[in-house]
Amino acid sequence: MITTLLFILFAGIAIGCAVAMVAQRNPLYSAISLIGVLLSLACLYVMLAAPFIAAVQVIVYAGAIMVLVVFVIMLLNVEDEEPRRNRLAFLAPTAIGLAALLIAETAFILYSVQASPYTPRDNVSNVGLTASVGTGLFTEYLLPFEITSVLLLMAIVGAMSLARRSNIISANSRVVPGSQVLPMNVLDPLASDEAAVETDSTVEARFLMGVDRLTDPNKRG
Amino acid sequence: MGPQLSWYLALSAILFTIGVVGVIIRRNVIAMFMCIELMLNAVNLTFVAFSSFFRDVTGQLFVFIVMTVAAAEAAVGLGIIIAIFRNRETLDVDEASILKL
Amino acid sequence: MNELDWTNPLIFSVAKIVAISVAFLAVMLLVALTVLAERRVLAFIQGRIGPNRVGYFGVLQPFADFIKTMVKEDLVPDQSTKFVFLLAPMIAVVTAIMAILVYPFGPTITLPFLGTIQLVIARFDVALLYVLGVTSVGVYGIALAGWSSNNKYSLMGGLRSSAQMISYELSLGLSLVGVVLLTGTLDIYSIVEQQSGWYGMNWNILYQPLGFLIYLISAIAETNRVPFDLPEAETELVAGFHTEYSSIKFLLFFNAEYINMITVSMLATTLFLGGWNGPFVEQLPILGVAYFAIKIVFFLFLYIWIRGTLPRFRFDQLMDFGWKVLIPLAIFNILITATVLFVRGS
Repeated sequence: MITTLLFILFAGIAIGCAVAMVAQRNPLYSAISLIGVLLSLACLYVMLAAPFIAAVQVIVYAGAIMVLVVFVIMLLNVEDEEPRRNRLAFLAPTAIGLAALLIAETAFILYSVQASPYTPRDNVSNVGLTASVGTGLFTEYLLPFEITSVLLLMAIVGAMSLARRSNIISANSRVVPGSQVLPMNVLDPLASDEAAVETDSTVEARFLMGVDRLTDPNKRG
Repeated sequence: MGPQLSWYLALSAILFTIGVVGVIIRRNVIAMFMCIELMLNAVNLTFVAFSSFFRDVTGQLFVFIVMTVAAAEAAVGLGIIIAIFRNRETLDVDEASILKL
Repeated sequence: MNELDWTNPLIFSVAKIVAISVAFLAVMLLVALTVLAERRVLAFIQGRIGPNRVGYFGVLQPFADFIKTMVKEDLVPDQSTKFVFLLAPMIAVVTAIMAILVYPFGPTITLPFLGTIQLVIARFDVALLYVLGVTSVGVYGIALAGWSSNNKYSLMGGLRSSAQMISYELSLGLSLVGVVLLTGTLDIYSIVEQQSGWYGMNWNILYQPLGFLIYLISAIAETNRVPFDLPEAETELVAGFHTEYSSIKFLLFFNAEYINMITVSMLATTLFLGGWNGPFVEQLPILGVAYFAIKIVFFLFLYIWIRGTLPRFRFDQLMDFGWKVLIPLAIFNILITATVLFVRGS
């Protein structure tokens, strides 16, 4: 009885957050809704006697992957999505018909599962405990485990080579340790043919982070 | 008699469908990426539900591997998204309709 | 009947609610005492006397501060991210306080009418991973606070602080793997039980000194304390991610930081210093609670002492130290521990 109520609660939260994630225009709110989905799924995993997978879901998915997504949203300063005109409105009756068909199929499946004889199972299971997951991972499924570590190495190398920017530090500049990269004509006034170099620190920071290459602060003033 | 296996599978199907709808509807590439993560999580729920009801640990091991692959995909995918943003100044996939920058 | 039937769901739920309330009140009182102790101890280190006017030795000072901060004006920024502005301190304080569920406050005690009770709120198999997971989710409070304040100092402080927290989470988790290898379980109650006996020679700090050191440094960095508090120091980025927060929301962040300190100290005592173990605990089990409290207070004093003594790291020095020194050291520690266990076991 209590497990049924808990299932309905967590499933409701998951579906609600998922619908919110799709319907929100602000990508940061979508990310927060997705974190809600991940946490409610972790609670469902606990109900399914898989505590290790629930903890790994919170640590890896909600605590690392979504932090990465939130950082990227904050870095790129993503704006809200503009609502656009619904160009496929003429397909609405087909959509309703197919949805009704899908609901009918699902109802039939659920009915036939419900009508089949119920074999009660004992309430004790140690399948989801850390020991059994660890044993399986290191004995029978050792090869996928090792290949997954190679996959992570590939991902690290790939992400680093994608995010690296070349040619920011050009040949005629000097790096002063502990501060930003300055062009030569700032460090050596005799080498400059301009009276003054003015930079704007925010624009400079965006340029150095590679976010907008279209405005070059060294060409201003 | 708690929640049955079919309930968990139905929930997973609903979440997967919401994810597919999200990928089709959203134009922001980060939002599309998040809907793909939602689909992966729906599949994870199916695996864990089967593993629990059939008392087999293989499902949870597969979920472990799927989570690792999702983490790797997130890192590389977001790197690609940042590279796209640097070149086009927009995250709208409808604008990225031709190969020319 | 002589003893309560703990398998009855109603009695079980009432017992858990009582346990949660007692633990919550105890942690809140400890936070108040820590706030006061920080001001007094820092004052003594710096050659002055701290607040001692409000009540005996200034004991009521934190409550006076609480009342003063509550009646201040609550400022909310006038733009569209109000929801996130409200959500961030809630996430910070909820994830901070959720971690106290799994720590055992004492050994199994036998009370006359209540039977034998384990002094822990929840005992389950993956308790250590639960603590790490809750810490991981706590990063969102700070990142979202920095973003939603619509203030470039808050944004820089929030991003720097969350980058620091996710970097030091790695060495935090890796330093605990050595203890898990030694005890063979992730259940914190069992880890504490395994450290009993042998007059304190079984405490994990003697078997994992490098792990303890790495854990301590990572914990100080994780809770954003000196010497790792660049993102929220007053002389640096105004006040970092909580610049724009006032009144109750600021109190929530403030509380979250001190509760984080307390939970991290609890983890250090249970995993490395033997938890509730101490002299004469087998004869008088209620002494275990006192020993646990004494060890936590020792760690809090260590935090305050370090705050009064050390200067703070620059941000790039901080990140270099976390990634280039602590993580390789922690992996090295795991390697040594695993090798020794393998050689001894074969």
